[in-house]
Amino acid sequence: MRRCLVLRLGRVPYGPVLALQRALHTKRRAQTVPDVLLSLEHEPVITLGRDGSARDLLVPWEELRKRGVEVFEVERGGGATYHGPGQLVLYPVLDLRFLGIGLREYVWRLEEVMIRTGSAFGAELFRRPGQPGAWHARGKVGFLGVHVRGWVTLHGLAFNVDLNPHGFAWIVPCGVPGLPVVSLQDLVDQELSFAAVEDAALRAFAVVFGVEVVELSGAEVRAWLSPSGLG
Amino acid sequence: MDLTIPDLGEVQEVTFLRWLKGEGEAVEVGEAVAEVEADKAVFVIEAPAAGILQRLCVQEGQRLPPGAKIGEIRPE
Repeated sequence: MRRCLVLRLGRVPYGPVLALQRALHTKRRAQTVPDVLLSLEHEPVITLGRDGSARDLLVPWEELRKRGVEVFEVERGGGATYHGPGQLVLYPVLDLRFLGIGLREYVWRLEEVMIRTGSAFGAELFRRPGQPGAWHARGKVGFLGVHVRGWVTLHGLAFNVDLNPHGFAWIVPCGVPGLPVVSLQDLVDQELSFAAVEDAALRAFAVVFGVEVVELSGAEVRAWLSPSGLG
Repeated sequence: MDLTIPDLGEVQEVTFLRWLKGEGEAVEVGEAVAEVEADKAVFVIEAPAAGILQRLCVQEGQRLPPGAKIGEIRPE
Protein backbone atom coordinates (compact mmCIF):
# COMPACT_ATOMS: atom_id res chain seq x y z
CA MET A 1 0.00 0.00 0.00
CA ARG A 2 1.22 3.49 -0.81
CA ARG A 3 2.33 5.56 2.16
CA CYS A 4 1.27 9.09 2.88
CA LEU A 5 3.11 11.02 5.57
CA VAL A 6 0.86 12.99 7.89
CA LEU A 7 2.05 16.13 9.64
CA ARG A 8 -0.29 17.29 12.40
CA LEU A 9 0.51 20.96 12.82
CA GLY A 10 -2.06 22.04 15.41
CA ARG A 11 -3.26 25.66 15.25
CA VAL A 12 -1.06 27.61 12.88
CA PRO A 13 -1.15 30.94 11.01
CA TYR A 14 -1.93 30.81 7.29
CA GLY A 15 1.19 32.38 5.78
CA PRO A 16 3.85 29.91 6.96
CA VAL A 17 1.61 26.94 6.10
CA LEU A 18 1.09 28.32 2.60
CA ALA A 19 4.87 28.61 2.21
CA LEU A 20 5.30 25.06 3.53
CA GLN A 21 2.65 23.68 1.14
CA ARG A 22 4.26 25.39 -1.83
CA ALA A 23 7.70 24.08 -0.86
CA LEU A 24 6.36 20.53 -0.44
CA HIS A 25 4.49 20.82 -3.75
CA THR A 26 7.70 21.77 -5.58
CA LYS A 27 9.55 18.87 -3.93
CA ARG A 28 6.74 16.41 -4.67
CA ARG A 29 6.78 17.41 -8.34
CA ALA A 30 10.53 16.77 -8.36
CA GLN A 31 9.85 13.38 -6.68
CA THR A 32 12.12 14.23 -3.76
CA VAL A 33 9.40 13.75 -1.10
CA PRO A 34 6.59 11.20 -0.84
CA ASP A 35 2.87 12.07 -0.69
CA VAL A 36 2.26 14.28 2.33
CA LEU A 37 -0.87 15.36 4.17
CA LEU A 38 -0.91 18.46 6.38
CA SER A 39 -3.60 18.41 9.08
CA LEU A 40 -4.24 21.61 11.03
CA GLU A 41 -6.51 24.47 12.02
CA HIS A 42 -5.83 28.06 11.09
CA GLU A 43 -5.79 31.29 13.02
CA PRO A 44 -8.61 33.51 11.63
CA VAL A 45 -7.91 34.20 7.97
CA ILE A 46 -9.78 34.97 4.77
CA THR A 47 -8.52 33.55 1.51
CA LEU A 48 -9.56 34.47 -2.00
CA GLY A 49 -9.32 31.69 -4.59
CA ARG A 50 -9.06 32.28 -8.33
CA ASP A 51 -12.83 32.97 -8.57
CA GLY A 52 -12.74 35.42 -5.68
CA SER A 53 -11.69 39.05 -5.50
CA ALA A 54 -11.69 41.98 -3.09
CA ARG A 55 -15.34 42.49 -4.16
CA ASP A 56 -16.17 39.42 -2.03
CA LEU A 57 -14.96 41.21 1.11
CA LEU A 58 -17.91 42.85 2.88
CA VAL A 59 -15.56 44.41 5.45
CA PRO A 60 -12.68 46.47 4.01
CA TRP A 61 -9.33 44.70 3.83
CA GLU A 62 -7.69 47.28 6.13
CA GLU A 63 -10.46 46.89 8.72
CA LEU A 64 -9.96 43.11 8.71
CA ARG A 65 -6.23 43.60 9.25
CA LYS A 66 -6.99 45.83 12.23
CA ARG A 67 -9.09 43.00 13.69
CA GLY A 68 -6.13 40.66 13.28
CA VAL A 69 -7.64 38.79 10.33
CA GLU A 70 -5.23 38.26 7.47
CA VAL A 71 -6.37 38.13 3.84
CA PHE A 72 -4.55 36.09 1.21
CA GLU A 73 -5.08 35.76 -2.55
CA VAL A 74 -4.14 32.20 -3.45
CA GLU A 75 -3.94 29.85 -6.42
CA ARG A 76 -6.73 27.46 -5.46
CA GLY A 77 -10.08 27.08 -7.20
CA GLY A 78 -13.21 28.66 -5.75
CA GLY A 79 -14.04 32.06 -4.31
CA ALA A 80 -13.68 33.64 -0.89
CA THR A 81 -13.65 31.59 2.29
CA TYR A 82 -12.97 31.96 5.98
CA HIS A 83 -10.80 29.71 8.14
CA GLY A 84 -10.53 29.85 11.89
CA PRO A 85 -10.11 27.82 15.09
CA GLY A 86 -12.53 24.88 15.23
CA GLN A 87 -12.24 24.11 11.54
CA LEU A 88 -10.20 21.08 10.45
CA VAL A 89 -8.07 21.79 7.39
CA LEU A 90 -6.42 19.06 5.32
CA TYR A 91 -3.86 19.95 2.67
CA PRO A 92 -2.89 16.83 0.70
CA VAL A 93 0.20 17.14 -1.47
CA LEU A 94 -0.36 14.08 -3.63
CA ASP A 95 0.84 12.94 -7.04
CA LEU A 96 -2.44 12.01 -8.73
CA ARG A 97 -0.62 10.01 -11.44
CA PHE A 98 0.58 7.51 -8.85
CA LEU A 99 -2.94 7.29 -7.44
CA GLY A 100 -4.19 6.80 -11.00
CA ILE A 101 -7.00 9.33 -10.65
CA GLY A 102 -8.04 12.50 -12.48
CA LEU A 103 -9.31 15.82 -11.26
CA ARG A 104 -12.99 14.92 -10.86
CA GLU A 105 -12.23 11.74 -8.93
CA TYR A 106 -9.86 13.69 -6.68
CA VAL A 107 -12.54 16.25 -5.83
CA TRP A 108 -15.06 13.42 -5.31
CA ARG A 109 -12.68 11.73 -2.85
CA LEU A 110 -12.11 14.94 -0.88
CA GLU A 111 -15.89 15.23 -0.55
CA GLU A 112 -16.06 11.57 0.45
CA VAL A 113 -13.51 12.14 3.26
CA MET A 114 -15.75 14.88 4.68
CA ILE A 115 -18.98 12.89 4.25
CA ARG A 116 -17.46 9.87 6.03
CA THR A 117 -16.09 12.07 8.81
CA GLY A 118 -19.58 13.45 9.40
CA SER A 119 -21.03 9.96 9.26
CA ALA A 120 -18.59 8.75 11.94
CA PHE A 121 -20.42 11.09 14.36
CA GLY A 122 -23.90 10.39 13.05
CA ALA A 123 -24.32 13.43 10.78
CA GLU A 124 -25.76 12.81 7.34
CA LEU A 125 -23.80 14.88 4.84
CA PHE A 126 -24.17 14.83 1.08
CA ARG A 127 -22.96 16.29 -2.24
CA ARG A 128 -24.76 18.95 -4.23
CA PRO A 129 -24.31 18.76 -8.01
CA GLY A 130 -22.35 21.72 -9.29
CA GLN A 131 -21.55 22.92 -5.74
CA PRO A 132 -18.49 20.96 -4.59
CA GLY A 133 -18.27 20.45 -0.84
CA ALA A 134 -20.04 18.56 1.95
CA TRP A 135 -23.57 19.66 2.73
CA HIS A 136 -26.19 19.10 5.37
CA ALA A 137 -29.86 20.04 5.01
CA ARG A 138 -29.06 23.03 7.27
CA GLY A 139 -26.10 24.32 5.30
CA LYS A 140 -22.54 23.80 4.12
CA VAL A 141 -20.20 21.96 6.49
CA GLY A 142 -17.21 21.16 4.27
CA PHE A 143 -15.40 23.28 1.71
CA LEU A 144 -12.79 22.52 -0.89
CA GLY A 145 -10.47 24.37 -3.19
CA VAL A 146 -7.66 22.75 -5.10
CA HIS A 147 -4.67 23.62 -7.25
CA VAL A 148 -2.97 21.04 -9.46
CA ARG A 149 0.26 21.46 -11.33
CA GLY A 150 2.20 18.58 -12.87
CA TRP A 151 -0.60 16.39 -11.46
CA VAL A 152 0.52 17.23 -7.91
CA THR A 153 -2.11 18.73 -5.62
CA LEU A 154 -2.01 21.80 -3.41
CA HIS A 155 -4.59 23.32 -1.00
CA GLY A 156 -7.46 20.96 -0.13
CA LEU A 157 -10.43 20.82 2.20
CA ALA A 158 -11.80 22.63 5.24
CA PHE A 159 -14.34 20.97 7.52
CA ASN A 160 -16.24 22.87 10.19
CA VAL A 161 -15.94 20.93 13.44
CA ASP A 162 -17.02 23.69 15.82
CA LEU A 163 -16.24 26.94 14.04
CA ASN A 164 -17.57 30.33 15.07
CA PRO A 165 -19.16 31.26 11.73
CA HIS A 166 -18.93 35.03 12.30
CA GLY A 167 -16.04 35.22 9.83
CA PHE A 168 -18.32 34.14 6.98
CA ALA A 169 -20.35 37.34 7.53
CA TRP A 170 -17.27 39.35 6.48
CA ILE A 171 -17.28 37.82 2.98
CA VAL A 172 -19.43 36.50 0.17
CA PRO A 173 -18.49 32.84 0.72
CA CYS A 174 -17.96 30.80 -2.46
CA GLY A 175 -19.60 33.63 -4.43
CA VAL A 176 -22.96 32.89 -2.74
CA PRO A 177 -24.32 35.78 -0.64
CA GLY A 178 -25.84 34.55 2.62
CA LEU A 179 -24.58 30.98 2.18
CA PRO A 180 -25.77 29.03 5.25
CA VAL A 181 -22.71 27.66 7.06
CA VAL A 182 -22.91 25.08 9.85
CA SER A 183 -20.50 23.02 11.95
CA LEU A 184 -20.58 19.32 12.68
CA GLN A 185 -21.10 20.24 16.36
CA ASP A 186 -24.44 21.90 15.40
CA LEU A 187 -25.62 18.63 13.86
CA VAL A 188 -24.87 16.09 16.57
CA ASP A 189 -25.97 15.61 20.19
CA GLN A 190 -22.61 14.57 21.61
CA GLU A 191 -19.85 16.99 22.64
CA LEU A 192 -17.14 16.74 19.98
CA SER A 193 -13.43 16.92 20.60
CA PHE A 194 -11.42 18.40 17.75
CA ALA A 195 -8.81 15.64 18.06
CA ALA A 196 -11.47 12.92 17.73
CA VAL A 197 -12.83 14.50 14.55
CA GLU A 198 -9.30 14.92 13.20
CA ASP A 199 -8.59 11.22 13.93
CA ALA A 200 -11.80 10.22 12.13
CA ALA A 201 -10.94 12.41 9.14
CA LEU A 202 -7.45 10.91 8.86
CA ARG A 203 -8.92 7.40 9.01
CA ALA A 204 -11.44 8.33 6.32
CA PHE A 205 -8.63 9.82 4.22
CA ALA A 206 -6.63 6.57 4.44
CA VAL A 207 -9.62 4.48 3.34
CA VAL A 208 -10.86 6.79 0.60
CA PHE A 209 -7.41 7.28 -0.94
CA GLY A 210 -6.27 3.70 -0.31
CA VAL A 211 -3.10 4.82 1.46
CA GLU A 212 -1.37 3.95 4.69
CA VAL A 213 -1.17 7.17 6.67
CA VAL A 214 2.10 7.39 8.57
CA GLU A 215 2.04 10.00 11.30
CA LEU A 216 5.30 11.72 12.00
CA SER A 217 6.35 12.31 15.60
CA GLY A 218 6.58 15.83 17.01
CA ALA A 219 10.37 15.83 16.58
CA GLU A 220 10.10 14.58 12.99
CA VAL A 221 7.48 17.23 12.21
CA ARG A 222 9.73 19.94 13.66
CA ALA A 223 12.63 18.73 11.52
CA TRP A 224 10.41 18.95 8.41
CA LEU A 225 9.20 22.38 9.41
CA SER A 226 12.43 24.03 10.43
CA PRO A 227 13.06 25.63 7.00
CA SER A 228 9.49 27.04 6.97
CA GLY A 229 9.79 28.86 10.28
CA LEU A 230 6.91 26.86 11.77
CA GLY A 231 9.09 24.46 13.73
CA MET B 1 3.16 22.03 -31.43
CA ASP B 2 -0.47 22.57 -30.50
CA LEU B 3 -1.30 23.73 -27.00
CA THR B 4 -4.55 22.05 -25.95
CA ILE B 5 -6.80 21.55 -22.95
CA PRO B 6 -5.55 18.28 -21.39
CA ASP B 7 -7.73 15.33 -20.47
CA LEU B 8 -8.25 15.91 -16.75
CA GLY B 9 -10.20 12.70 -16.13
CA GLU B 10 -14.00 12.62 -16.58
CA VAL B 11 -14.09 16.39 -16.92
CA GLN B 12 -16.35 17.40 -19.81
CA GLU B 13 -15.54 21.08 -19.79
CA VAL B 14 -13.18 23.48 -18.08
CA THR B 15 -13.38 27.22 -17.54
CA PHE B 16 -10.47 29.15 -18.98
CA LEU B 17 -9.08 31.36 -16.19
CA ARG B 18 -6.07 33.20 -17.58
CA TRP B 19 -2.87 33.19 -19.54
CA LEU B 20 0.32 33.14 -17.50
CA LYS B 21 2.54 33.92 -20.52
CA GLY B 22 2.17 36.63 -23.11
CA GLU B 23 1.64 36.36 -26.85
CA GLY B 24 4.99 35.87 -28.59
CA GLU B 25 6.79 35.11 -25.32
CA ALA B 26 9.51 32.43 -25.21
CA VAL B 27 8.63 29.44 -23.01
CA GLU B 28 10.59 26.45 -21.73
CA VAL B 29 9.30 22.87 -21.58
CA GLY B 30 7.11 22.49 -18.49
CA GLU B 31 6.69 26.20 -17.93
CA ALA B 32 3.25 27.24 -16.71
CA VAL B 33 1.41 28.97 -19.56
CA ALA B 34 -2.28 29.03 -18.59
CA GLU B 35 -4.77 28.13 -15.86
CA VAL B 36 -8.14 26.44 -16.24
CA GLU B 37 -10.66 25.42 -13.58
CA ALA B 38 -13.20 22.64 -13.09
CA ASP B 39 -15.04 21.68 -9.88
CA LYS B 40 -13.15 24.20 -7.74
CA ALA B 41 -9.86 22.73 -8.92
CA VAL B 42 -7.42 24.97 -10.75
CA PHE B 43 -5.22 23.09 -13.21
CA VAL B 44 -2.03 24.59 -14.60
CA ILE B 45 -1.33 23.94 -18.28
CA GLU B 46 2.38 23.60 -18.92
CA ALA B 47 4.24 24.13 -22.19
CA PRO B 48 4.67 20.75 -23.96
CA ALA B 49 7.74 22.06 -25.81
CA ALA B 50 10.16 24.98 -25.80
CA GLY B 51 9.49 27.80 -28.23
CA ILE B 52 7.43 30.89 -28.85
CA LEU B 53 3.88 30.98 -27.49
CA GLN B 54 1.24 31.90 -30.02
CA ARG B 55 -2.05 32.35 -28.23
CA LEU B 56 -5.44 31.79 -29.77
CA CYS B 57 -8.20 34.16 -28.86
CA VAL B 58 -9.55 32.50 -25.71
CA GLN B 59 -11.66 34.60 -23.36
CA GLU B 60 -11.49 34.51 -19.59
CA GLY B 61 -14.48 32.46 -18.41
CA GLN B 62 -14.83 30.63 -21.74
CA ARG B 63 -15.93 26.97 -21.42
CA LEU B 64 -13.70 24.53 -23.30
CA PRO B 65 -13.71 20.73 -23.72
CA PRO B 66 -10.59 18.53 -23.37
CA GLY B 67 -8.58 18.59 -26.57
CA ALA B 68 -9.62 22.13 -27.49
CA LYS B 69 -6.73 24.03 -29.02
CA ILE B 70 -5.86 27.24 -27.21
CA GLY B 71 -2.57 28.07 -28.92
CA GLU B 72 0.68 26.82 -30.42
CA ILE B 73 4.29 26.58 -29.37
CA ARG B 74 6.46 27.40 -32.40
CA PRO B 75 10.14 26.45 -32.36
CA GLU B 76 12.44 29.46 -32.01
